[in-house]
Amino acid sequence: MTDAAALSARKAPSPLSNWREFIIYIGFVVIFAIFAATLGSRGFLDPNNLLNIVRQTAIIAVVSVAMTFVLGTAEIDLSVGAVAGLASVATAMGMDHLGIAGGILCGLGTGVAVGAVNGWLTTGIGIPSFLTTLAMMGIARGVAMWISATAAIPILDKPYAAVFGGGNLGPVPSLLLWMVAVGAVGHVVLRRTTFGRRVLATGGNETSARYSGVDTAAIKFKVLMLSSVAAALAGMLYAGRLHSGRFQFGEGDELSVIAAAVLGGTSLFGGAGTVVGSIMGALLIGLINNGLVLMGLEFSQQLIARGAIIIVAVAISQTRKR
Amino acid sequence: MTATAFPDAVRMTDVSKHFGGVRALDGVSLDVRPGEVHALLGENGAGKSTILKILRGVQPPTSGTVAIGGTPLTTFTAEAARAAGVSMAFQEMSLVPTLTVAQNVFLDREIKRGALIDDRAAIAESRRLFAAMGVAIDPTRRVADIPAGHRQLTEIVKATSQPCKVLVLDEPTTALSANEVERLFDYVRQLRSRGVAVVYVSHRMDEIFRIADRATVLRDGKHVVTAPLADFTLDSMIAAIIGRRSRGFSDVARGTAAIGDVLLEARGLSGQVKPRDVDITLRRGEVVGVAGLLGSGRSSLARLLCGVQPAAAGEIRVKGEPVSIASPRDAIRAGIALVPEDRARQGFVAFHSVESNVALPNLAAVSKGGFVDPRRVAALAEAAIKRLRIKTDSRGAAVRTLSGGNAQKVVIAKWLATEPDVLILDEPTAGIDIGSKSEIVTLIRDLARDGKAVLVLSSELQELLAACDRILVMSDGRVVRDIARHDLDDPGNPESVDALQHAEQKLNQAMQEARGGPAR
Repeated sequence: MTDAAALSARKAPSPLSNWREFIIYIGFVVIFAIFAATLGSRGFLDPNNLLNIVRQTAIIAVVSVAMTFVLGTAEIDLSVGAVAGLASVATAMGMDHLGIAGGILCGLGTGVAVGAVNGWLTTGIGIPSFLTTLAMMGIARGVAMWISATAAIPILDKPYAAVFGGGNLGPVPSLLLWMVAVGAVGHVVLRRTTFGRRVLATGGNETSARYSGVDTAAIKFKVLMLSSVAAALAGMLYAGRLHSGRFQFGEGDELSVIAAAVLGGTSLFGGAGTVVGSIMGALLIGLINNGLVLMGLEFSQQLIARGAIIIVAVAISQTRKR
Repeated sequence: MTATAFPDAVRMTDVSKHFGGVRALDGVSLDVRPGEVHALLGENGAGKSTILKILRGVQPPTSGTVAIGGTPLTTFTAEAARAAGVSMAFQEMSLVPTLTVAQNVFLDREIKRGALIDDRAAIAESRRLFAAMGVAIDPTRRVADIPAGHRQLTEIVKATSQPCKVLVLDEPTTALSANEVERLFDYVRQLRSRGVAVVYVSHRMDEIFRIADRATVLRDGKHVVTAPLADFTLDSMIAAIIGRRSRGFSDVARGTAAIGDVLLEARGLSGQVKPRDVDITLRRGEVVGVAGLLGSGRSSLARLLCGVQPAAAGEIRVKGEPVSIASPRDAIRAGIALVPEDRARQGFVAFHSVESNVALPNLAAVSKGGFVDPRRVAALAEAAIKRLRIKTDSRGAAVRTLSGGNAQKVVIAKWLATEPDVLILDEPTAGIDIGSKSEIVTLIRDLARDGKAVLVLSSELQELLAACDRILVMSDGRVVRDIARHDLDDPGNPESVDALQHAEQKLNQAMQEARGGPAR
């Protein structure tokens, strides 16, 4: 290509690719407006309803922040839902025996332990993370069922429940605070730290990253650790919100989390993604769920409509990637 | 060869191929007779691969006609060329590594019994073919598990496992041992005696002189000469391939840099396979070139020095201090940087910005406590764009929107920003336009003048001659010659316009001699 041709080819695509980058925000506003217009009379715009959307999606949003890092390295973590369930059980059991601090440590420890195993299997042994975490999904769920004897383990500690998802700070649900805090930290880490840069470089072109001195195996280990710890935090939030640890918590969340990240513009092939986009993706999914309920659709119809909307949104946001 | 009543196996008449404004082929005619080995020669970019692509139907010519065995080729698809009798053994391996040798040989035209694939017949047939070639390759083994040389032979057996009129061999010996080359040549002679026309592409002149009956030389998309091998000498053949023209490097100012202390020293450096027992000394202000044919171990040497591949043996010293280089990070820390051979795969993240790419190997320098300072990243990128005159919309533009030459400058820039003492460039001007080539060679000279030691690995000899003070010739993993640049000048006439041609011819000769081939 001559330089002149290269120059003209280079000018053209920027405005188009720009609006695609903001598709998640555009989609969010459009769908919000449609629901506000059609469902306003059914209480969609009621502040309580809007806060409810946040309560229902904050946990997905927290995990989707970590998933942005995992997908950013072109890896995947399918075990997050099961790890959330296991961590809720571990937290409840720990609290029973060791008190509140012990419970929190048990919950986070679960995340660290699972993350270390996932990371080691993926980077040390070389099993693709898809398989590692698929297997881990079953193992974590199974362990949760086993140690809890499939029973719910109640959490009676009021302060724990208030901090981890159950309470409000004034009018603000604590879940919203968790979401904002995790989102803010995640955003800064991905955007402004050397770690974040290396995550995206690893996913963008692993060979080139390795040639550039990035220890790509260590980066992958760390992001898998990160997502397991975030999943464990999600489990602790479930436990606080519903005053118990149950192995069922988080079932199917892995798919919601991945859908949220991809809706938010994170590439499944690595190298691109934003934390804010993923959170918006989670909120959009919550928004759609809420609207469909208010429309009075049956659960079966909700599933179909939600699937269709997600396909359309992802199709639009992904067309730029060839 | 005698002229016969048979039609030519290949007759290309006045074939041209344009890509946009570029003439890859310009009115080339080629005839290959049944039962001859016809060498197709030329530098990279001379038009050889375009001819091969037309011949095997992958690209239609812009104008001109192609006939195979007297029948004009009207549709240009791989299937049509195949049906006309053209078979090709690929230089870039086309085998599926997870299938067995026999399954690969009969891929997509499996021997069947009824509706089912008859693996046993395929194995027996493959065994027969390998026996005809005289090599012991087990057809039941997976391709991934056999050595590279055997893979290359399997590729050739696959191409000849069905009747063909024309067999195209593109650099068929790069992975072969001397003994395997003999087996291959015997096999080619068998095919020739059966009336197969063999089109043989290779940079290894000694092999051409041994196996080919006639040769056609291309240069810049044009036909230069077709003649029986007996009419060529090594000199005249190289002269025909190189031609008598400047390729834009003549404007490179070769200011002499002050050669200083030793920056990089390698002793007995060996990789798993290649290189073998290599000694290298690089001094401050010096540009050293590494020349060598495909498979000589050039790129392995580069990967070893920058820590991408582990060294099996040997010692590396930087500024006299022994260093252990187990990873690219170690190399960066020791002050060694590599501009790798495969830009798109190894050099940059295509859809990330110029800024991100320049920052990547320099993150430690532009951050504090793990936090990246966006102003320092921006300053680094702006400085790089300015210093190397990178043509880009902005530092935020994705590297994939840049031309090849500018993308290469981004790769060089990101490594220069690490402030290395030793810069290694592997094929630094591959696939970029001539203007950028000369700019990059000028840059290499400037870097040496600024006190760096530069190692340039290249298959383009003019580039080495324009850039280097000293040229090492590698063959079969070893450094076999160490030639000072001025020894390649024509002593009687150092300033003539033909000086570069003269030097290139001498270097080319040195490389061919290094392969131990007969210099006729």
